[in-house]
Parts: sequence; C-alpha cells; structure tokens
Amino acid sequence: MANYLNGKVAIVTGAGRGIGAGVAKQLAAEGAKVIVNDIGAALDGEGLSNTPAEEVVNEIKALGGEASANYNDISTMEGGEGLVQSALDTYGQLDIVVTVAGILRDRMIFNMTEEEWDDVIRVHMKGTFTVCKYASILFRQQRSGRIITFASESGLIGNTGQGNYAAAKSGIAGFTKVAAKDLGRYGVTANSICPRANTRMTQSIPDSSRQLRSERPSDREEVPESEAMNPEDVAPMVAYLASDQASNINGQTFLVYGGTITKLALPRRTRTIFKQGRWEVEELRKLAPQHLTQGLVNPSPPQAPKTA
Amino acid sequence: MGDLLKDKVAVVTGSGRGIGRGIALLLAEEGAKVVVNDLGGSVDGEGASNTPAQEVVNEIKAKGGDAVANGDSVATMEGGENIIKTALDNFGKLDIVVAVAGILRDRMLFNMTEEEWDAVIAVHLKGTFSVVKPASILFRQQRSGKIIAFSSTSGLYGNSGQANYGAAKDGIAGLIRGIARDLGRYGVTANAISPGADSRMTQSVPQSARDIRAASGIEAQSAVTPLELNRDPEDVAPMVAWLVSDEANDVNGQVFHCQGGQISLMSNPYEERTLRKVGRWSVEEIDAMFAGTLGMDMVNPAPVQAPKE
Repeated sequence: MANYLNGKVAIVTGAGRGIGAGVAKQLAAEGAKVIVNDIGAALDGEGLSNTPAEEVVNEIKALGGEASANYNDISTMEGGEGLVQSALDTYGQLDIVVTVAGILRDRMIFNMTEEEWDDVIRVHMKGTFTVCKYASILFRQQRSGRIITFASESGLIGNTGQGNYAAAKSGIAGFTKVAAKDLGRYGVTANSICPRANTRMTQSIPDSSRQLRSERPSDREEVPESEAMNPEDVAPMVAYLASDQASNINGQTFLVYGGTITKLALPRRTRTIFKQGRWEVEELRKLAPQHLTQGLVNPSPPQAPKTA
Repeated sequence: MGDLLKDKVAVVTGSGRGIGRGIALLLAEEGAKVVVNDLGGSVDGEGASNTPAQEVVNEIKAKGGDAVANGDSVATMEGGENIIKTALDNFGKLDIVVAVAGILRDRMLFNMTEEEWDAVIAVHLKGTFSVVKPASILFRQQRSGKIIAFSSTSGLYGNSGQANYGAAKDGIAGLIRGIARDLGRYGVTANAISPGADSRMTQSVPQSARDIRAASGIEAQSAVTPLELNRDPEDVAPMVAWLVSDEANDVNGQVFHCQGGQISLMSNPYEERTLRKVGRWSVEEIDAMFAGTLGMDMVNPAPVQAPKE
C-alpha cells in the first residue's frame, strides 16, 4: 500500500469488472477513497445486479482501503450528476474521475441497427460527458481535479465491425482534448488511456470478426498474447495520472498494455500540396495521386466476390 | 464543365450553404446528379425551410446540371433513409455520399447543457451514420461507392469550448476509420475531410470563445494553420470531387485537411515515445521514469493560470 493518492476521493465508472475494477483497486491501494460505480449489467447493457461493484468494494475493504458502491446509470445526466453527488455525500469531496464504463455491440456498418449505434454512443460518449460535466463544475471551483477517460485504438486507428465503437472511442479522445483546454487553466487535467486488455467486453467479439480481422494487413504491431493483456496492467498509469505528480500532464493520450506505456502523438500532416487560390479538379487529378496519396495502403483492399 | 463524375449520382447533406453547397455545385459541374439535402434550419438546428437547398438546385440547373432538393433531417434514421431513397427515386441509383450537415452549440464543458450535447452529437455523428448506413447497404451490393464525412481540427486537436463538437468530429474520424475496414473489401471507400473555412457555422462561434482561446495561447497550438490562407468554403470542394471519382479508388480510410489552396494528408494519432518493462509497472516506477522519458517536451495545452482578481 503506497500513498500517491492519500486524502483523495475518486470515482471510477464501470469499475465492477475488468479494467475499471483494476483501476478502482489500484487507486484505493494508493490511498484514495473510491466510489466504485457499476450498473452491474450484462455486457449488452441489459439487466441489473448489485454484485460486481459490491465485490470490488469488499476486496478494497479487505485490504484496508475505503470504498463505496454506486449503481447509477451514467448514460443519463441524472445518473452522472447523482454519481458525483455520491462522492460528496459519502466522502465530502471529489478529486479524480475515471470513466471506464463501456459496452460493445459489434456489427458491420451495413447491418448495424439504430439501437446498436445509439446504445454504444450513449454509454461510452454520453456516459463520459455526464460524469465529466458535473465533476468539471466542482474541479473548476476548487481549481484542481483529474479526469481520465478511455479511448481505444479501434477509434484512433480503426477496426472492422466496430463503426459504433470506433466513433464513440475516437469521440471520447476528441472530447478529452477539448476538456483539457477548457479546464487546464483551472489546474485541472484531462487525459485519455487507450488500453489493450482481454476482458469480458473483448471476449464478446464474435469469432467471425476475429477471423475477418486476422485476414487483413494489420495496423498494429503484433504483441505476444502472453505479454500483454491483463486488464490490471492498465491501472498503475491511471493512478499516476491521477496523482499530484502528474499535475502538468494534460490533453495527452497513452496506449497502455502489459508493461508497455506509449505516448500517442496528435495527428500530423504527413504530406501537403499548396497553391495560392483554389485548386482546379484537373490539377488535383494529376497532383493528388502523385503527391498526396501515392503509396497509401488500402486497409481493406477490394476482394473478388465469393463464389457459391 | 468537367466530366470526372459523369453519370454518377451523389447525395450531399448540409448542402444548402457553405462547404456543402460548394461541394454540391462542383460535383454537379463535374457531371454528377446531386441530391441537395438541407434541413434549411438556422445554425443552431432550429426551424426548417426548403429555400437554401432549392436555391442550390436552381443554381445547378441554371448551369445545365441535374439536381433535386431534399429537406429531411439527417438526425433520424428515417431522415437518412429518405435522403438515400430520394437519390434512387429521382436518379435510379447512388454512387456518392458526402455528409457535411452540422451545427455548433459552443459552451465550456462546465456550463454545457444536455441539450447542447445531444443536439450536436445527433446532427453530426448520428447524422453521418443515418445516411452512411443505408448507403453502405447499396454500396456493398453494387460493389462500389464513395463515402466522405466531415471531421475537424476541433476534434483532431481539441478546441476550447467545443467538447460536444470535438467529440462529434473526432467521432466521425473514428467512424470513417472503422467503416473503411468494413467496406473496402467491397470496392467501397470512406474518407474524411477536416476543413478550414469561414462559413455561417463558424461565424456563430461567440467572440468570447475566440477571446478565451487567444488569451490562453490555445489557438496557436492547433498546429494546422501556419500559412496565411483564404478560408473560402468553396475551396474544400475540389479535393472532395477527386476523392469521390473513380481515380481515387485506392484511397480509403484517410483524413485530409483542406483549407484554401492547401491540402494535407493527416496521419492517425501515432506512437511517439514508449516505456517498456517486463511485467506490471508500479506507480513509483512510473513516477521515477516519466519526466525523463514519455514526459520529455510534453506541453500542457492550457497551463494553469492564477485566478482573476
């Protein structure tokens, strides 16, 4: 038990299982009092049970830490506001918000239903907004606070069958970059984590999708399964970002898995063409393929139709 | 009048004004038949009139082009499906979807209302999904099709006072990266444009927000406007016209920043510095290592300021 977060109060959403549970336990081990938020739902968002959050709270208490369970649905404003309020009611303050809660509803874009789209956008994106919005009111007033959100390489790089999830996760990255600029002046920081980990959520990806992805040229560096994928490996970097030592780390995105922590840089211009005034289409027909797009790899090249 | 897009049929959402209008006009000039979709609402999303879209249609027809107006809202699935159906009903097919429709509701995060959040996410993000989804069904069947969606430096880099818009716009970039992988195998491409342009929408940014950004040195950090450039919304159209042509069949899953006469291929966020050990890090170890490794040259985009007296 260390003391990087002594005297701090933290909220962790989606903390009943997986990465969120690992974060909650690590923050508590570093001395923070933790509100363990988890709706206790099945992975597709259906059903409620109080068990997972309570189990994490019990684990924290057994190790001498302090924690309290909360079952609010963070995808509503009331749920987010109530969750922030519960930190104040239970521990009298709030210093750290970590938004991990998420669901998957993988589907190819041409088959994706409105419900699959809406549910994923709501839980991830709005569920990040609802908690961060109310926390930011407090953080601005007290001129301190830490926001740590969860993005994903699925959004920042792209992944088959996850149009909804990619949109949500890239959206959270965009949200966090703005939050960092809205709040930095008040001594508040906002950063994102892109985790790689095997959890209940990733296990729900259909084998057909895995098969499809494995047939593709990969954008990712291959990582040996054995090295990487423990969800609890993500927690130490989150705890560090939540600490006073990280008070000037703001607006950043970190890829975290196993023993690897990578700082991701913002997009850069890799190639530029420039002229005074507007391009003619005829000019672009010559210059674009020569300069802008030459050698680009299609991440999913056309394939011949399957014959029956 | 070129013929790069001869016999193609295109849908352009939000094309009653600004960037969308410029695209609709140019696609028509290159020979495409265009569904000019615009709710005709005010920039905050309220109200509806058919005038702006119809005016663009009239302009296209006056130059000998072919176009039809559509006033459906992209923010609902029914609206998106109707827009696609308008192309099929009027022109018998669909080859190109350009999703430009958008609104702004700027507000600092701590003051942003649920309505301001929901409206921006609905129009930009769901409004891209609602047309792209039904289009992708057709495109997959016909094994061809071009999708262009609109991102923004507000999402790619972050812009103060735009948590909703930044989330929507970076979300659209993520959506494009995802569906480029869903659809490429069927000969379909999906790319995103990050435009730099002054339009009715950007004029709605409050001066107070501009002042805040300037005062905190935030604007200078956005890194994509080092040159003195025109920001005419019509400047964005030529790159879009090329990307939706058969000549760009291999360009898929990319983001291009277009502003004035400058066009840049943007990278994805990329791995800059890595810290690696065997096994799990402790917080103490990260604390000891961070400043000299991952933290080198790291800039806080909005450093803490003393409270105002």
